[in-house]
Amino acid sequence: MIGASTAFRVPRRHASARRFLPNLLVPIDLRDGEPTGPSLFALCESRRVAHVAGATVYAIVMSDREIDGAVLARLGRAGADRVLLCEGAGLAAPALDATHGPALQAAVERVAPLLVLFPAGGAGITLGPSLAARIGAAFAGAADLEATDAVGPLADGVGRVIVRRWRGARAAYRRLDPVEIERPVVAILAAGVAAQQVGSEEIDVDVIACAPPKGNTTSEISSEPDDDERIPLARVLVAVDPALGPEAVARIAAAAPAGVAVVDRARSAAAIAASAPEIVIAIGDVEWVAMGTPHGRLGAILFGDDALPPRAVDVVWRVPAAAAGAELWSQIGEALAAFAAKGAS
Amino acid sequence: MNIVVCFRAPSPGPEVDALAGADALALAQALALGAGEHQTTALLGGTSMEAGSLRLALAAGVDRAMRVAADDMAATDFHTIGQLLAIALRRIGAELVLTGMRSDDEGLGAAPAAIARHLGANYVAGVEEIAIASPGTVDVVARGGGRKRRLRVKLPAVLTIATGPATPAQRPPRAGAAPAIEVIPLSDPEATVVRRRTELLGRLEPASRGVETVTSAAALVAALDRP
Repeated sequence: MIGASTAFRVPRRHASARRFLPNLLVPIDLRDGEPTGPSLFALCESRRVAHVAGATVYAIVMSDREIDGAVLARLGRAGADRVLLCEGAGLAAPALDATHGPALQAAVERVAPLLVLFPAGGAGITLGPSLAARIGAAFAGAADLEATDAVGPLADGVGRVIVRRWRGARAAYRRLDPVEIERPVVAILAAGVAAQQVGSEEIDVDVIACAPPKGNTTSEISSEPDDDERIPLARVLVAVDPALGPEAVARIAAAAPAGVAVVDRARSAAAIAASAPEIVIAIGDVEWVAMGTPHGRLGAILFGDDALPPRAVDVVWRVPAAAAGAELWSQIGEALAAFAAKGAS
Repeated sequence: MNIVVCFRAPSPGPEVDALAGADALALAQALALGAGEHQTTALLGGTSMEAGSLRLALAAGVDRAMRVAADDMAATDFHTIGQLLAIALRRIGAELVLTGMRSDDEGLGAAPAAIARHLGANYVAGVEEIAIASPGTVDVVARGGGRKRRLRVKLPAVLTIATGPATPAQRPPRAGAAPAIEVIPLSDPEATVVRRRTELLGRLEPASRGVETVTSAAALVAALDRP
């Protein structure tokens, strides 16, 4: 164990430059002890921009035990320079602000971040907003990264990392530059495909011993597997208008490859709300598709004269209303197989 | 129990009197917790021109509607919104605060966490079901980490709502006229809010992307997966 820091402390606004050290922190989402695909992608993306910004990439792992060596190697290969292990009772459970928030706070106090980048489908929705509120950071609910070597207040040769997120109905996006706003940025990245290996397996681990929060105020009564677990992790989300019937979802899903989630837009509303896919395809209804990131792409399959909201989608395929049926669903499902070539995960 | 539903100030546009989708879910969950035994209040920070959602909430059956008088809340960052609404919530004596998961315009979902921080309340995101467990606790259902979990949460708590209730509440028609919208002025000396952090929203840039039309499912997938 190296040190122990669990005390809650809110950094002062406009504190020292230490807060703006170019550290990129990526909280890792483990399922059955293995990092999720979006977690590896978030590390890979962080590694990509870290090269430009001269930054260090830290993977934050919360657990009740030591991390398996093979997992450490995967995190290293995906792009992490170091691992911060927040170790404490109960931290292997799914994240809650009451139980995991203080541990994340301890990690952020140990390594002052420029960016905290949550992977899609992970603890970002639970822990991201509250972390941003505690440290006075900006927040982006679904974002992507842009690296630039534009001249700025940093030293020569040190690039900038900018977080981009959509505003409203995709008429505009916002660019958050942590150097410009003089605060860290907390963001949830879209799901994506990690490169096979961008970093080294040799990786150091710092352990932060985390005591359970005093007077825990949120406790688990019961738990069951989430049938919609794959939806927030999917790189490609195909959302079907419930008016088209369950057969549409079943037939399209039957042919969809791994990493492509085909869902009933109404039945899986909660899981969709927690997702950040790179690619979204709306079938039959596009009113809801103001999601994704500026880097991502939205497609729509519309029937008859269905209206297309301005700027709502990037690619549209119009089919006759009478075409809705088994043959079309199979055709769409087969087309989705092309996503497998890019290793949607 | 004192239940408060917080609404987001609407974006400028023709439908300022509409209830945003996320706010409607939160309102439906609040109303489903039962009339009579709980007091339900709708709260909005904004101008009188933006109070359409409060009128809709009164019509739907909330007991009170309150507006924190403030200009340009739609362009205010979540830290300030959280600080502002927490002042009002403390005055109301809110025990259970429900909000939409993400606003329709900025889609951040961060203001509820800021409210919780300023209130010193518990914060749970993505709630799908709520039940009153005891006067000081609620049971909620939320997903995360591949699990669907039932949690017991001590009050005060701020919950963001992911879906509406399984059975929408049907409140009896209100006897007499709906109460007036109460106003909490920002000029109140207790309400000292630092409103200078809108830069945290970031720099706005127009997105100039056209729509590509294709003629097959395969072409659609190919166009979307193009680097």
